[in-house]
Amino acid sequence: MSSASTSLVERVRGLDAMEVFRLLRVPIGILLIALLIRPVIGSDLLLGSPHIATTILIWMLFATAFNLLLGYTGLLSFGHAMFLGTGVYMTAIGLAYFDMPFSVMTVLAIVLAATIAYLIGRLTVQYGEIYFAMLTLAFGMMLHFFVNSNPGGLTGGSDGIRSGTTPEWITSLRGERVIDVDWFATLLGYLGLEPDYYWFVAIVFVVAMLGLWQIVRSPFGRTLVAIHDNQELASAMGIDIYRYKVWALTFSGAFSALAGALLMVNNHGASLENFGPMTSAEVLLMAIFGGIGFFFGPAVGAGAWYLVREYLLSLGTVTVPGVGALEVGGVLSYWQFFFGLAFVIVILASPRGGIYGFVRDRTLTALAFARRWRTDG
Amino acid sequence: MATAILIVLTVAVHPRLFAQNLLGGVVYGLVLALIALGLALILGLLGVVNFAHGGLFMLGAYGAYEIIAMQGLPFWVAFLVVPLAVGAVGVAMEVGVLRRLYGENPLIGLLATFGVFIMIEEATRARWGGTPLTFDLPAVLQGSITFGVGRIATIRLLTIVVATLVIVGTYLLMYRTDFGLTIRAGLQDREMAGFIGIDIPTRFTIVFFLGSAMAGLAGVLRGAETGMDLAMGFEYVLLAFVIVIVGGVGSIFGSVVAGLLIGIGVFVAPVMVRALATATGIDALAVPGIGGIVPFLIMLAILLIRPRGLFGEEGLLE
Repeated sequence: MSSASTSLVERVRGLDAMEVFRLLRVPIGILLIALLIRPVIGSDLLLGSPHIATTILIWMLFATAFNLLLGYTGLLSFGHAMFLGTGVYMTAIGLAYFDMPFSVMTVLAIVLAATIAYLIGRLTVQYGEIYFAMLTLAFGMMLHFFVNSNPGGLTGGSDGIRSGTTPEWITSLRGERVIDVDWFATLLGYLGLEPDYYWFVAIVFVVAMLGLWQIVRSPFGRTLVAIHDNQELASAMGIDIYRYKVWALTFSGAFSALAGALLMVNNHGASLENFGPMTSAEVLLMAIFGGIGFFFGPAVGAGAWYLVREYLLSLGTVTVPGVGALEVGGVLSYWQFFFGLAFVIVILASPRGGIYGFVRDRTLTALAFARRWRTDG
Repeated sequence: MATAILIVLTVAVHPRLFAQNLLGGVVYGLVLALIALGLALILGLLGVVNFAHGGLFMLGAYGAYEIIAMQGLPFWVAFLVVPLAVGAVGVAMEVGVLRRLYGENPLIGLLATFGVFIMIEEATRARWGGTPLTFDLPAVLQGSITFGVGRIATIRLLTIVVATLVIVGTYLLMYRTDFGLTIRAGLQDREMAGFIGIDIPTRFTIVFFLGSAMAGLAGVLRGAETGMDLAMGFEYVLLAFVIVIVGGVGSIFGSVVAGLLIGIGVFVAPVMVRALATATGIDALAVPGIGGIVPFLIMLAILLIRPRGLFGEEGLLE
């Protein structure tokens, strides 16, 4: 037995339950998200249908990868769709034209996206924040243009790639995608679960999120935070800030490409939109809305984005006490307006905390109040 | 040097096409310069990257549609009223949102105005729908005028005249009046300008009104020439940012030069690659749609060679 695991066991034994929870709260949170999001949004109280759960998980991963850059390093990338899009298109191209296995293409996509990110990082990180945003935007637009121009007939231009993009180990049954792998089905069977695509995404999600969490809490991640907090001081302490920024961008790009590979299967192929500026804008909105100051903030933002959208769009009438039934479906089809308003309010009220920070602060205050009340009474 | 050879080659191979596109590029570049000028004023003075500027431009175009096509009023009414109304929207935004953000990290201003932009876009979709629209121009603007080497549509001529007047007017305002002097003092050092008794908040609001009205005016002109759709706000605000960065943050007239440079580049580059393809016989050189990527290529080249932009001052936003 290695010394590291021994010491962890000893450390855990020496702690009380509360401290163990504290130590493991992020892994536990990641597991809970993966396990609970589908039943929760499938319940009649919320949406009553779990069909967007897979999409939510994928965007949560993408937003968290994005936040490695924005929240932890302080770099605003305005072209992050290019990394997601690389994941989407690489897997789609490999499956549709070359009969390559999905896993191989995913690895290639991650390597390619990381390489692109590394090279862009080497060119751009030494300029100021706004310049970095504009330069990533420029590179994003150029890749968008490149994909749109349909090089070698591979990307399908503005039509994207539609046919032949489902991996062979997935079968579609009545609109549900089922993982057609024996051991996977057996494994999930022990847990009493159906082997559908959601659980495949959930497993990848958990592993990737744990990876991101390890990056964030490693010395590397702590250094990124130091750079974010005070670049001059970090530099004066001998940290090569540009190198760290380049690697932050590289890791962020790699995880974004992984999210892209999952998204490709989820969306039945690749579309040009995956590379577009609106996708970059959406992930930015989600991350900020959820709260970039926290590990789970962007994930909360991504979840809120889809839940709010689906919920508002599904509302036809609202019964207001004293007023009666109001026809709101027409107004709420313009849900982005209200999202924009909420976004502005969040930015003005708490630029880094987002809704996650807001709820967290209120909960902590309430807990402290309850504790005081209990000890006093 | 290579560019000069390419231009000579293009003129030799496709002279008429080159002239037409050069003219188109100048018109487009002037509209871009008009938008970018408003953005640059606000950015330079307030330190806020106003993403909603594209929304204001869009409101200008759709506002003209509202007045002309839906209310049945003459074009000239829209031409006068819409910029003022868009200016008022801009002021409301400045007072309601941006006042709270002065002196903050520029990223926060960028994000807050991004939220406002989304609201404007959705409100536009709610009011005027998602399909592209056009309105009818008065008879005098529907024709074209023949001159020496070619013809020019009157609406384009109007765009050239109006944009030039506004740019010259802004120049006079900024460099020939006391008001402009105080604004430039604010551009240089906001705090110090405040110390010597310049009423900075009022001037901010005035500048915001002017910048927004310019965006509205550009929207009317652009809407009259090519119609309007929901994507225009995002497209043009991106271009305006590119222009401001190429021209150099803090330099108002860098934006004008960069706007023209990029406008002409967008129109002329496709002819140039086509001329190159004709001359060399390699069809693959004529990449379709190259125009759309030109602004970003120019920005990339400028930033990598001279990060502060063509006429930018050191230290701003770095």
